[in-house]
Amino acid sequence: MKHSISIFWRDRENHYKLLITKCRNCGKSSYPKLKRCPYCGSTNVEVVESKGRGTLVNYTITYFRVDGSEAMLPKVIGLVKLDEGVKVPAEIVDVPDLSSLKPGLEVEAVLRKYSSDDPHGLIYYGLKFIPSIIKKQ
Amino acid sequence: MSRCCVKTGVVGWGAYIPLYRLRSKEIASLWGFDPNVADSIWIEEKSVASVDEDAITMGWYAAKYALVRGGVNPEDVGAVFVGTESKPYAVKPSSTVIADALGISRKKLATDLEFACRAAAEGIRLAVALVSSGSIKYGLSIGSDTAQASPGDVLELTASSGAVAFLIGPAEESVAVFEGLTTYVTDTPDFWRREGSKYPSHGEGFTGEPAYFHHIISSVTMLLEELGLKPSDFDYAIFHQPNGKFPLQVGRALGFPKEKITPGLVTPWIGNTYNASALLGLAKVLEIAKPGQRILVAPFGSGAGSDAMSLVVTDKVLDRVHKAPTVEELINRKKYVSYAEYAKSRNLILRNVG
Amino acid sequence: MWGDGMLKAYIASVEMLKIDRHYDKSYVDMALEVIDAVLNGVGLTPSELDYIIVSTAFNSLLTHQVGSSYILAQYLGVKNVNVASVEAGEASGAAALDYAASLVKSGKASKVLVVGFEKMSEYPSWIVNREYSKILNYMVEGIKGVTPPDYAAIIMKEYMSKYNVTREDVFKWSVKMHENASKNPYAQLPFKISKDSYVKSLVMSDPITMHDSFPVGDGAAAALIVGDGFTNNAPKELVELVDVESSVNLPLYLREDLTVFEATAKSLSKLTSKHRVSVTKDMALNVYDTYNIYGLITLESLGVAERGKAHEVIDEMPYLNVGGGLKARGHPVGATPLYQLGELYKLMTEGFAGMKYDGEYGIIHSMSGPDNTSWLVLLRRCVR
Ligand SMILES: [Zn+2]
Repeated sequence: MKHSISIFWRDRENHYKLLITKCRNCGKSSYPKLKRCPYCGSTNVEVVESKGRGTLVNYTITYFRVDGSEAMLPKVIGLVKLDEGVKVPAEIVDVPDLSSLKPGLEVEAVLRKYSSDDPHGLIYYGLKFIPSIIKKQ
Repeated sequence: MSRCCVKTGVVGWGAYIPLYRLRSKEIASLWGFDPNVADSIWIEEKSVASVDEDAITMGWYAAKYALVRGGVNPEDVGAVFVGTESKPYAVKPSSTVIADALGISRKKLATDLEFACRAAAEGIRLAVALVSSGSIKYGLSIGSDTAQASPGDVLELTASSGAVAFLIGPAEESVAVFEGLTTYVTDTPDFWRREGSKYPSHGEGFTGEPAYFHHIISSVTMLLEELGLKPSDFDYAIFHQPNGKFPLQVGRALGFPKEKITPGLVTPWIGNTYNASALLGLAKVLEIAKPGQRILVAPFGSGAGSDAMSLVVTDKVLDRVHKAPTVEELINRKKYVSYAEYAKSRNLILRNVG
Repeated sequence: MWGDGMLKAYIASVEMLKIDRHYDKSYVDMALEVIDAVLNGVGLTPSELDYIIVSTAFNSLLTHQVGSSYILAQYLGVKNVNVASVEAGEASGAAALDYAASLVKSGKASKVLVVGFEKMSEYPSWIVNREYSKILNYMVEGIKGVTPPDYAAIIMKEYMSKYNVTREDVFKWSVKMHENASKNPYAQLPFKISKDSYVKSLVMSDPITMHDSFPVGDGAAAALIVGDGFTNNAPKELVELVDVESSVNLPLYLREDLTVFEATAKSLSKLTSKHRVSVTKDMALNVYDTYNIYGLITLESLGVAERGKAHEVIDEMPYLNVGGGLKARGHPVGATPLYQLGELYKLMTEGFAGMKYDGEYGIIHSMSGPDNTSWLVLLRRCVR
C-alpha cells in the first residue's frame, strides 16, 4: 500500500476540489482548506471553492522517479496561480507542445489519477491542470 | 409524445475526448493488416487516453461541463449513472467518485451500469423516468470508456477513449425535449469480455447483421411507429458508431440519407468510444442544431440491445453551446502518438508493478 | 539560565565517517564507529555520558527502525543514560545540537553525545526519492507527486529570470563546492568539476541536474557537547556552542517571493539581536545547499550578498562550506549538520582541508526543503 486509505479518504475534498481559505482577519487567501490562516494564525476563516482556472507561474519538466511514477515520466510540475489569486503546486498534463509552456499559460483543473496501488490496491484521484481548452475571453 | 418521457429533456451536456491520437494506418501496418482495412471501415485515427486517465476522470470532465452548460447546482442532482465497460474497479462504483468530486448531493442514486456500449443510453432512460415521475429534479447519465482491444485484434483499429454526459431535467429548462424512447434487447452473443479477461472477444461478422443492424433497426422502427413519424421528419439521425461505415449502412436501411447522418459522426476521427460513441454524436449535433429541429439517436450495445430516442431542439440550446468545450473543439485538439506511446499509456506493455 | 545564563556549552570533539554508499555497514555500525571515535578521543566510556541524542530523519522509513537512540545505547552497553531522537526533517541535526546545548546550559547535563546518521543506500533510488520527498507536506505535495527537486527547479528558474542570472552563474556554486570537497577526506564527491559540467549531467528536474544537487549517500557523525567542568583537560583552543535559533517559513506555494528564504533571515535576526553578530564574507560559514541555487539564496538571505548577486561573492568567501557543502561533501540527512559542525570545529581549532580560521565566530545554517524550517548554530572560538 503506497498510501493510507483513511488519510486519502479523509482529505478527498482537498484532492477533488481546489478549496481556498479566506481569512477574515488579515484578508489573505491561502490553499488548501485550512482551519487556521497560515499568514496570521486566525481561525476566523471561510472556505470557498475555486472555479479551477488559473495561469502558470513557473514549471519544471522532471525526470525524478519516485516509486510508481515511472509510466508518467517525464512530468511537468508547476505552480499555478488560480484566478482567485492563490498559488497551488500541481502537475500539468496534456501539454501538446512543451515549447508552449511558459509563465502566464492559461490552465484549467482536471481530475486525473495521482497514483495507484497496482495491481490490487486503490486508485488515487485528484486534480491536475491542462492548458485551458476554452481560452479566456 | 409517449408516456415514458413526459416533460423531460436534456438540460445540459458535456463531452470529453483525450488529447492523444493514434493513426489507424499505423496499427494496421504494425499488425500486418491489408493497408486498405482502415479505409474499408472508415476509421482515420482514434483517441488515446493518457496514462493518468480512465473512465472516471474522463466522465468527471464531461459531467462537469454538463452541469456548467445546464447552469445547475450540483446539489440539485438526484441521480448519477455511469455507463462504462471499462470500470477502473471491478467492484467499487465510479459514479460515487465523480459525484463527490463534482459536489453532487449525497442524497442521490448512484450506480455504474454495464451493457456494453449502451449502458449510458439506458442511464438516460432511467434519468428520464426518475425526472418525469417527480422522484428527482435532475439526473446525470455519463458514458465513459477507455475501450480495450486485444493488441492485433481488428477491434484495435477503433477501440478508443472518450466520455459524454447528459443532464436530464424538466422540459422547460431543456435544450432538447424528449418525444419518445424505445428500447429493444435480446440475448445475442456478438461481443463479450469474461470476468478477469483483459480484453474482449467478438464474433467478427456476427457483430453486424444479427446484432448491430437487427437491434438498431428494431428499436428505431418501434420508435417511428410509436410516434407516427417517418425518417423525413428528422433533421439528424445518429446511430452507434463502431466504425464510420455501419451508421451510414444502418441509416440507409432505415431510409435516412447520408446528409442527416454525417453531422453526428465522430468515430472516423476519434474511434469508437463505446458508451460515449453515439452520444458524443448527439452532443456534436446539439452544438449545431437549430431550435425546432428533430433528432433521432440510436445507441447500440452488444449482447445486445438498442435504444431509440427522439428529441426536439428548443431555443435554449443556442447560448449553452459555448459555455463549455464543444465536440468539434475536442476533436480538433489533438496530438499524435506512436503505437509505442499508446501501448505505454494504455498499459499494454508487460512490466513489474507494485 | 537559558541562553545567556551562567553555564556555557562547548564542543569537546566531533568525529565523522567518510560519506559513501556503505553497503557493508548498517546504521548501527556507522553510528558506533563515530561514537567510539569520539569517546576514545576524549577518554570517556559510554557509561559516563549523561545523554545520547540521535539525529536521523529517515531511519524509520528506510531501515524500519524506530527508537534508534535506545537501540544504540543497548549496543553500547549502557543503561543509565538518557536517550532520545530529535527530528526536524533535513534540519534534524541542528535541532539535536539545540537540545544538547540547552541541556548543558541549563545544568541538567554536562556530557551530551549527539550522533547523527542516515542510511540512504538501503533501497533503490525510486524508493529513496519517494521517502525523501516526504520532507514536503505529504498531504499536499506528496500526494500530488511534487518533489523537492521540482521546487528547486522552479525556484532556480524564477531566480534566474528575476535577477538576470545565467545558468553558469548558478553553477559557480557547484564548482566551488567540488573544489572544496576535493580537500575533504570525509567528502562523498572529493573531485573537481568543470564550469560547464551541468551540460552533460543527467537532468533531475529541469534545470536542476545531478551536478546541481546533493548526492545520495550514507554517513554518520558524532559530537560531544560538554559543560565548563569538562573543559579543564581540553586543548587550548575551545569552541563554544553559543546558541541555536530557528524559524519556519510558509510552504513554497504560499510565498509571495520564491527567491528569498525568510525563515533563514528570521533566524539570523533572532540570533543577531541576542549576540550582536553579523554574517560577513570572511566568516566561517557552513550553509545548506541541497541544490546550488539554495546556497546562493541562503547567502543573500543571511545578508552576505545582495539579492541576485551571491554568485559574485562566493569567491570572496574563503571559509564558505570548506567541506564542500551538501553538494559535494554529501548530505546524509540526519548527520549533515554534524558534518558541518565537524568541519567548522576543526577549521577553528586544529585546521581543516588545509585551512585554519582565526576569526571569533562561525555559523552553521541548516534547513529542511526550501527554507520550510531554517536553523542557525552560532559557534565562538575561545582561547584558554
Ligand atoms: Zn490571516
